[in-house]
Amino acid sequence: MAQTVTLGTSPEGPRPSYMYKVVLLGSMSVGKSSLAYRYVKSDFRELLPTVGCSFFTQILNLEEATVKFEIWDTAGQEKYQSVCHLYYRDAHAALLVYDIANKQTFSRAKLWLEELEKKFLPDEIVIALVGNKTDLAAEREVTTEEGEDFARTKGLLFMETSAKSNHQVNDLFMAIVQELLRREKEKASKPSPHGKVTVDLRASSTSTGCCRS
Amino acid sequence: MNLKSERRGIHVDQSELLCKKGCGYYGNPAWQGFCSKCWREEYHKARQKQIQEDWELAERLQREEEEAYASSQSTQGAQSLTFSKFEEKKTNEKTRKVTTVKKFFTASSRAGAKKAAEEKTPKQGQLGRERNADNILRDLKEIFTPSWELSSPSEALAGKLKEIQEAKAPSPSIHRQASIETDRVSKEFIEFIRTYQKPGQDIYKQCKLFLDTMSHKRDLSIEEQSECAQDFYQNVADRLQTRWKVPPEKVEKAMDEVEKYIMTRQYKYVFCPETTDDEKKDLAVQKRIRALHWVTPQMLCVPVSEEIPEVSDMVVKAITDIIEMDSKRVPRDKLACITKCSKHIFNAIKITKNEPASADDFLPTLIYIVLKGNPPRLQSNIQYITRFCNPSRLMTGEDGYYFTNLCCAVAFIEKLDAQSLNLSQEDFDRFMTGQTSPKKQESDSFSPDVCLGVKQMCKSLDLLSQLNERQERIVSEAKKLEKDLIDWTDGITKEVEDIVEKYPLEIKPKSQALAAIDSENVENDKLPPPLQPQVYAG
Repeated sequence: MAQTVTLGTSPEGPRPSYMYKVVLLGSMSVGKSSLAYRYVKSDFRELLPTVGCSFFTQILNLEEATVKFEIWDTAGQEKYQSVCHLYYRDAHAALLVYDIANKQTFSRAKLWLEELEKKFLPDEIVIALVGNKTDLAAEREVTTEEGEDFARTKGLLFMETSAKSNHQVNDLFMAIVQELLRREKEKASKPSPHGKVTVDLRASSTSTGCCRS
Repeated sequence: MNLKSERRGIHVDQSELLCKKGCGYYGNPAWQGFCSKCWREEYHKARQKQIQEDWELAERLQREEEEAYASSQSTQGAQSLTFSKFEEKKTNEKTRKVTTVKKFFTASSRAGAKKAAEEKTPKQGQLGRERNADNILRDLKEIFTPSWELSSPSEALAGKLKEIQEAKAPSPSIHRQASIETDRVSKEFIEFIRTYQKPGQDIYKQCKLFLDTMSHKRDLSIEEQSECAQDFYQNVADRLQTRWKVPPEKVEKAMDEVEKYIMTRQYKYVFCPETTDDEKKDLAVQKRIRALHWVTPQMLCVPVSEEIPEVSDMVVKAITDIIEMDSKRVPRDKLACITKCSKHIFNAIKITKNEPASADDFLPTLIYIVLKGNPPRLQSNIQYITRFCNPSRLMTGEDGYYFTNLCCAVAFIEKLDAQSLNLSQEDFDRFMTGQTSPKKQESDSFSPDVCLGVKQMCKSLDLLSQLNERQERIVSEAKKLEKDLIDWTDGITKEVEDIVEKYPLEIKPKSQALAAIDSENVENDKLPPPLQPQVYAG
């Protein structure tokens, strides 16, 4: 899995820094933007941001590492699906968002997963299935079990959230961070097969570039 | 400025300040002593003449070249190797025609105008004036350079001529201009790098080395050159971080400057290189966008209403930004243009919808902007940025995000079909072939190339005619009211008359004279006589 060290290790502490790109995938108006907006600003849309909300960054200072999230929102309309692979190039995590009150969005999420599986190996990307809009529980069309079962069979993280009532939004992103960091550790303990894409400071400082030849 | 210094130094006669053509207006040394109107006429004449001469030259040179080509073909067997190279170059020349046609005219028109200017000022003899005019001319030529129709059949000719000219003697004006900018960037870079002291020196050395190496690698494929550049970025960043322990923010800043410096120098070799089919793709995209001119915002579900003046302002700004991208040389500057364009789009959506835009709204709008703007050399620009931008900028960050969106937009436009516009296949085909235009079916719409002012005027006219109608209605109703009022008074009068007629006022003559109040009192007699005062003796 690719990770980019952008912040660098500070001289005081050995705490590593990671930058993770997270893409939001899902049908139109399932609440992708709201989810990200809620997470970044801990605020729902009723309070309007200054510019559009489709690109967000969030820096997390965790015990073991500093993590910078870069959240890319994508257009959910079906007609753009054919070009959306450009969005998730080099992504570290993907959120497959569906609306629990709309069965169709759930099947679309499954289609997105198929797309992702074409482009990534299972250990290259963390995928989370997210059932949004739990505040609309009365109109629920997709049961929690349905989502859970599907996620389990495909090895995805699963969570039901509500961006509107701020239900489990933070937990969702924390779960993703934990999973990303866990994989990071796992990879450090055994030599990575994807050495090329790993940007490691120590390794690259000894690499030779064309201009030195 | 010049005028002022002259006033101070030499005495200038009043007549010298007037237009040389004697039209009575004041002349300006910047216009060779003509007034603005006469100058424009003169300049235009000179230019037309020069263009004509250039065509003739182009034709002659092409003939010569074709002869040379034919003769080289006859001796092909003897020198097949060199010929294959020659042929390759020729096809390149052909494909490069579009980019070069503009250069050709700017360069030649300048020379022509200059010549004309010299002819017009033989006896002036004021060196300062002439030099100043020359400078202004250079600016003017930029302003007046016409935007030639890309599909003009003669452009191949012009392009070819330019190629020949360039091959024989590099056009000094273009090179001078380019080198002015390169020098400026170099100076800025050196100044910037000084603030980094020792690491700065190292960076500078690395850059020089890189540029040197690259100059020997021009024959490599563009992908290999791109890889070299990416390796170089990576190397310099790593060196700064690990060897010189420069803090990350400063590394980032330095990397931006490094990119600016090397890419300003590399631009002309690696932007839309002849070894690739970038230009072919550019033309394909351009043609595609032109063929899609009929696409309306409604078809793309664009959440932007251009009726609102503020929004249409934003749309125009966004289009300007995306078009401006082509004029930048540094990949990061190009990215900045895309980001600026995107911000304007977000604003437009926000004003229209009164809520912040999400990606669901943004991408369709960006597609619409690209369709409407048809930015020049779109594919070349995207390729150039992908190949030579600092990867840390491109893959991550806001700039990277918007760039990805642009790539998606272009990919979508290339693939766009009936379904993605919610049209039937027949409709789509008809629109594509230009048989009908969706706009014409609606009575109150205009063709897309009608300018804003005309649209506004038509709208105003519409409004006026509506007002006119209302006015007429009001007048006719007022007349009716007036008539009603008159009828009413007439009616009342008539009624009154009728009544008067029916019940004529008869004044009965007085039957008897007015008697005393008690005159009719017949019973008076019965009354006892009034009491008389009686005197009682007593």
